[in-house]
Amino acid sequence: MKGDCDDLGRRLTELRDGSLGESDCAAIERHLAECPSCGDLHRDFEDLARLCRESARPRMPLAVRRRIENALK
Amino acid sequence: MAGPSEEPRALLYRALDEHGDRLYAFALRMTRDPDLAADAVQEAFTTALGKFDTFRGESNIATWLHRIVYTKAIDLIRQRGKESPLPEDEEAGLGPDDDRLARTPAWARPPDEILWGSQTKEALESALKQLTPLQRAVFTLREMDGMSTEEVASVLGMEPGTVRVHLHRGRLRLRALLADHFKGAVSS
Repeated sequence: MKGDCDDLGRRLTELRDGSLGESDCAAIERHLAECPSCGDLHRDFEDLARLCRESARPRMPLAVRRRIENALK
Repeated sequence: MAGPSEEPRALLYRALDEHGDRLYAFALRMTRDPDLAADAVQEAFTTALGKFDTFRGESNIATWLHRIVYTKAIDLIRQRGKESPLPEDEEAGLGPDDDRLARTPAWARPPDEILWGSQTKEALESALKQLTPLQRAVFTLREMDGMSTEEVASVLGMEPGTVRVHLHRGRLRLRALLADHFKGAVSS
């Protein structure tokens, strides 16, 4: 049902946060198994999270570090 | 973990060693400009040194420094005057635009070497720049920096539930933006 899908899209964030109770998690898992569009959304969110984890973090340039060290003297 | 008797300068030097790259990366993603990012982080450390008596160890020093960097970055974005909406203007609730984004077709699945390759990571960085500053802050801290929702809420001075709203909205927008990248990758 559309209402379930609207609500579920938002609750996926809570699911990933681990902030839902056991019965809510089970209800979401059931819906994901039955609803292709919500399953796709969940899969895309999971892949997005993996992309983020694997992305290189920009490193602080040495010149910036030296500026901060001087400011802390 | 540093003890409370350590000198502020020593604590901040240690924080620079342990969290400098995280703070710089956060500032760079917020300001989208290496010079502004450098200014934001340097000003944050200067402010932290000057106001160290306001840090009572109730929060983690990394969280405290992220909060100051965020404030500095938003000030610099505001001075530059090219981005909107600024955080204070953003709606805290989800709306019709979010529902529309939720109906974006799923990603066309390219081969794994494209899905997880460097071009996709470049596309992700490019897409991040198209989020609002608040969405970028929430998404960067939660997904790229690995903070908990509660820590993100502490950095940004908002309730965890509000963080989740902006996180969900940011995820929807990034998903839609990257869908175009994958469509091109599959059809080319």
